[in-house]
Amino acid sequence: MSAVITVTPAHLAAEILPERPVRVQRYFRETFLLIGRGLRTIPRVPERLSDVTIQPIIFTLLFLYVFGSSIKIPGMTYQNYLLPGLIGQSLAFGVIGAGVATATDFSTGVVDRFRSLPVTRLSVISAQVVGQIIEQLLGLAIVTVMGLVLGWRPHLSPGGCVEIIVLVLLGMFAFTWFGVLMGMLVRSSDAMQGIGFAIVLPLSFLAGTFVQIQRMKAVPRAIGDWDPLSAFVAGVRHVTQGTNAQGSWQLTHPVVAMVGWCALIIAIFVPLALRRFRRLS
Amino acid sequence: MNQDTLLTNEVVVRTENLTKRFGEFVAVDHFDLEVTSGSIVSLLGPNGAGKTTIVRMLATLTEPSAGSATVCGYDVVHQADRVRSVLSLTGQFAALEDNLTAHENLILMARLRGYGRGAAKRVVEGLIERLDIDEFRNKLVKSVSGGQRRRVDLAASLVVQPRILILDEPTTGLDPRSRQVVWSVIRELVSEGVTVFLTTQYLEEADALANHIVLIDHGRATAAGTPSELKSRIGDQRVDVIALDTLGLERLVGALSSSFEITVSHDRRMVSIPAPHDLSDLAAVTSAVAQTGVSVDEIALRRPTLDDAFMALTGQPSDSASAELQPEEVAS
Repeated sequence: MSAVITVTPAHLAAEILPERPVRVQRYFRETFLLIGRGLRTIPRVPERLSDVTIQPIIFTLLFLYVFGSSIKIPGMTYQNYLLPGLIGQSLAFGVIGAGVATATDFSTGVVDRFRSLPVTRLSVISAQVVGQIIEQLLGLAIVTVMGLVLGWRPHLSPGGCVEIIVLVLLGMFAFTWFGVLMGMLVRSSDAMQGIGFAIVLPLSFLAGTFVQIQRMKAVPRAIGDWDPLSAFVAGVRHVTQGTNAQGSWQLTHPVVAMVGWCALIIAIFVPLALRRFRRLS
Repeated sequence: MNQDTLLTNEVVVRTENLTKRFGEFVAVDHFDLEVTSGSIVSLLGPNGAGKTTIVRMLATLTEPSAGSATVCGYDVVHQADRVRSVLSLTGQFAALEDNLTAHENLILMARLRGYGRGAAKRVVEGLIERLDIDEFRNKLVKSVSGGQRRRVDLAASLVVQPRILILDEPTTGLDPRSRQVVWSVIRELVSEGVTVFLTTQYLEEADALANHIVLIDHGRATAAGTPSELKSRIGDQRVDVIALDTLGLERLVGALSSSFEITVSHDRRMVSIPAPHDLSDLAAVTSAVAQTGVSVDEIALRRPTLDDAFMALTGQPSDSASAELQPEEVAS
């Protein structure tokens, strides 16, 4: 057989694939398409948002109304102490959300399909990160509104507003990359959920989220002093309420410490995550 | 090379000494393969033989440890992006977004392949009609049946007419009716000039679809040829008569050995007779058995199985114990 076969089947004859645009343009186009895919599924699996919505809501209600009456924070209402703490804590919970979503994607083969397409591979992982951040922002918006309704009164100047938004986005960016890496390494969403909670939950309790570190016993206080999450909790609280915690350097300079921790997490885990993604097999 | 025309007998896939190791475990071992355009080549082997690993290397999902592979002349390692633009993969587990509808999944795939909004819609409409997806187009993929899912999966691989379509176990786990649908789609694609490379663990499937079969076990190619070449080497089909008890077996052997060429398996209480003429041989054996008056458990016309093929071509049964080991699991 040496006949020439023309490969233009009827269903495609009318559609010519456009010229492939330059790399940067492709990257943004494909990243947006993939982010859209993730966001579109949110209303269909609302339980996926539970990590970033239900949990903070439960924490808020439990601590405000169950423990709140017994916890006295000198000089401020418990609402004003608790809500910044929950915002700081929710940044860290992003590790679990991003990890579980990544592990799920990578175990179902859908990421393999994207990887077998002529799309820039960076767009696959970028979309994962940005999509996760958008989900977390949704959760954070719910917690913020609920906090305001229940009596939280942040003291924010316009500059403070910008500062808190930048800090929250930076924290989310860092923790989400960490979570994406964890998800690729763990590969099972159940295991990711388990490991994530075992690490993040205790660290977030020690971080001065609900009670002051300076009034803890020696051992938890020592951990809380240098727990990275303490910097995030104290940082948010410093910007929204203008108060400073007492204790270690990172607690008395919380914003600098928070930015430092973010820089460190990004410097370590972004390259590791990218490397891991390239070497997936 | 012109994107729209291709000559038959042009090499689409070539592997040379392709090897993949996961630590100590050699999943694919010096594997050579050539797929020419317009053909259907089937990689036939048991679970864990290395089929999926070969597919993943061709689809640029995992890099070879040694050796080389090219798709349409592009190297899978150094020209991965070019390879991805000429190849479509339908993996072993339908790789679709569960929480999107069939239609949304296809639109996403078409857009990722580079079509604009309008063109993507038109391409997807064509595929929905062609693969009979219309009745469940707006259902979430997680709630459709396995066969329907496969069809969406195939459609997703066809948003751009690929130079080569790679199907990893396309009908594993499907009911017979869905299997027929998938087969007819594959045949139709080939008649349109698409080159297909498929893996399967079913001899029947390789036989029904492929014009060239490569047998693989322990990551090595053990035999290759057209289905009829392989079958003539495996041997013909046969009639198996299974007796109820040992006494019956002895009486059967006594009665049948004079008029048929028999082989006896005592542990299975089975007499086996070659049946090159299908039903007429079956009828002859059945009437001979009936004349003996011995009650039997089963009389059946059997085609060679994958195990028979391995027995005949390699002299040893396919090792299903080590076959349980999935290379992907070894990797992680």
